[in-house]
Amino acid sequence: MERARLVLRSVAPFLVALPVLWFVQGSLASYTSFVAINIAVNVILAVSLNVVNGFTGQFSIGHAAFMAVGAYTAALVTTGLESLAIPGVPAAVSGQAVFLVALAVGMLAASVAGLVVGIPTLRLRGDYLAIVTLGFGEIIRVIIENTRVLGQATGISGLPACTNVVWAGMGVVLTVVMARRLLQSTQGRALLAIREDEVAAEAMGVDTVGWKVRAFVISAAFAGLAGALLVHKIQLVTPRMFTFVKSMEVVVMVVLGGMGSITGSIVAAAVLTIALETLQAADQYRMVIFSMLLIVLMLTRPSGLFGTREIWDVLPRWRRRRAPGEAP
Amino acid sequence: MSGTGQPVLEARGVVMRFGGLTALSGFDLTLHSGELVGLIGPNGAGKTTAFNALTGVYAPTEGDVEVAGRRVNGMRPHQICELGVARTFQNVRLFKELSAFDNVRIACHAGSRSGFTSAWMLTPTHDAEERRIAARAEEFLSVMELSPRRDELARNLPYGEQRRLEIARALATGPKVLCLDEPAAGMNASEKVALLELIRRVRDQFQLAILVIEHDMRLVMGVSERMLVLDHGVTIAQGAPEAVRQDPKVIEAYLGDGKLRLRPPREAGTGVP
Ligand SMILES: Nc1ncnc2c1ncn2[C@@H]1O[C@H](COP(=O)(O)OP(=O)(O)OP(=O)(O)O)[C@@H](O)[C@H]1O
Ligand SMILES: [Mg+2]
Repeated sequence: MERARLVLRSVAPFLVALPVLWFVQGSLASYTSFVAINIAVNVILAVSLNVVNGFTGQFSIGHAAFMAVGAYTAALVTTGLESLAIPGVPAAVSGQAVFLVALAVGMLAASVAGLVVGIPTLRLRGDYLAIVTLGFGEIIRVIIENTRVLGQATGISGLPACTNVVWAGMGVVLTVVMARRLLQSTQGRALLAIREDEVAAEAMGVDTVGWKVRAFVISAAFAGLAGALLVHKIQLVTPRMFTFVKSMEVVVMVVLGGMGSITGSIVAAAVLTIALETLQAADQYRMVIFSMLLIVLMLTRPSGLFGTREIWDVLPRWRRRRAPGEAP
Repeated sequence: MSGTGQPVLEARGVVMRFGGLTALSGFDLTLHSGELVGLIGPNGAGKTTAFNALTGVYAPTEGDVEVAGRRVNGMRPHQICELGVARTFQNVRLFKELSAFDNVRIACHAGSRSGFTSAWMLTPTHDAEERRIAARAEEFLSVMELSPRRDELARNLPYGEQRRLEIARALATGPKVLCLDEPAAGMNASEKVALLELIRRVRDQFQLAILVIEHDMRLVMGVSERMLVLDHGVTIAQGAPEAVRQDPKVIEAYLGDGKLRLRPPREAGTGVP
């Protein structure tokens, strides 16, 4: 009985989300669901980058590379196993099963890439770390661009359209649950300690390098998930999708929402995705707009919209300010 | 109490050089459980450097450091902390944006071996662990008389309470040796006396060895059984407070040969931990 309750508590967010997403999926027009999936992918990216940049205070700007690793790996799995038919199982079901495997393998591959990049770089601090993650990000992209099985510069096309609102939404729930439970645990507090003062954290028994690498690996895994989901919506994966511009986009989302604030990342990712969708015409100025936004933000509100707080920590304050007797 | 059994901390001939500067030379120290030893010396004498060499912030250039018989040279600070050496910092290094409670909880993780997975799955062991850590943190906050400040952000605490919180945090790591770098700095005379009394109580309650750096020689003499005096990185005197105070070398180092060294103690060390 007690055991059942504990299991239930641990999976509750997923049990609640699944039927809701199913319902939403059925009621969305195709363009709206395309935007919704885009938002979901960016939320996963922003929240996962926040684990490194916000929780742990390490400035990584190579997130797109891990996204690429996840995307390509998952693409190889789904295209490779497309013709596979499990006897007695309907094609639709086996397709979903293959996709689940593809997502898992994509995350695994991305986390391995995170480990390979993280171990040598996370001894560095601040600007050095940023530059090196950027460098590694570009290296990974260049390697992909020159690998024949990955289609070089043209990438891989004709991927099955597996990603729908349910898959993308479940990805968001998984990412947010991961980040939230992390923040509320000793393990997560070790990351916060590193952000606050690395020397003190180390002196209090926190293995700073070890925890930084772990945070980096987790963050990379979820970037891989986002990449895998994205390319199975647009049914195409090319190296151009994962340039420095994409990494910067995610950094802006995290900074805008507030380093360390999960809800901040979610809101910022959603707002920026919609803004980018509506400003399609300005696509070639994307980089300029983002750089400007980042500069203005750093100058006016360096801690982002919510700082390290969550949205509900901020909202009651607005209410309270208005509360004593005055009309709103 | 002193001189019996195995020392909890032992330093033999520790030398610490920064480029051409020898900040610490031939540093010897033997600490037994339950001892309270004062480490004094003028500004720049090498006191903080000695702490850094003992706790692994710097690897000693020469010499050996042993914790409970285990050589710790070259180990990382978190490993040395796990072996039982905790410290505070001259410049107060709290986790500023976190609550007092969280500051202490972070230090309580020692002994917790669970990884991220148990936190994600909310396993019963994870729950039990979190409860154990919370209880422990509350206990150390209360020992340092900070319970009412539990949910205050560390940066919002008054200076004296920040210093006490640093001690609570260090205690939470479950140390055998506690190194306090000028814990009473910036306090007025009566606060200082109260703090040193508190430190002595903590020592008795947890059977710790405590090494305390303090500028006010008279004050530290009142509480410590043994003193060690550094000047220009060299240990110029060692022993019972009375004997040390009358040592001509100590008098000279402190009262000086009329040179500039008779400045009031600086508040903010040398910018290093
Ligand atoms: N990382 C370092 N690099 C270079 N020199 C250093 C370093 N750390 C300390 N020193 C030098 O070593 C000497 C001893 O410094 P230390 O901080 O140990 O003195 P202290 O006894 O703690 O003084 P105070 O009472 O001012 O805190 C000083 O001359 C200082 O400049
Ligand atoms: Mg000092």
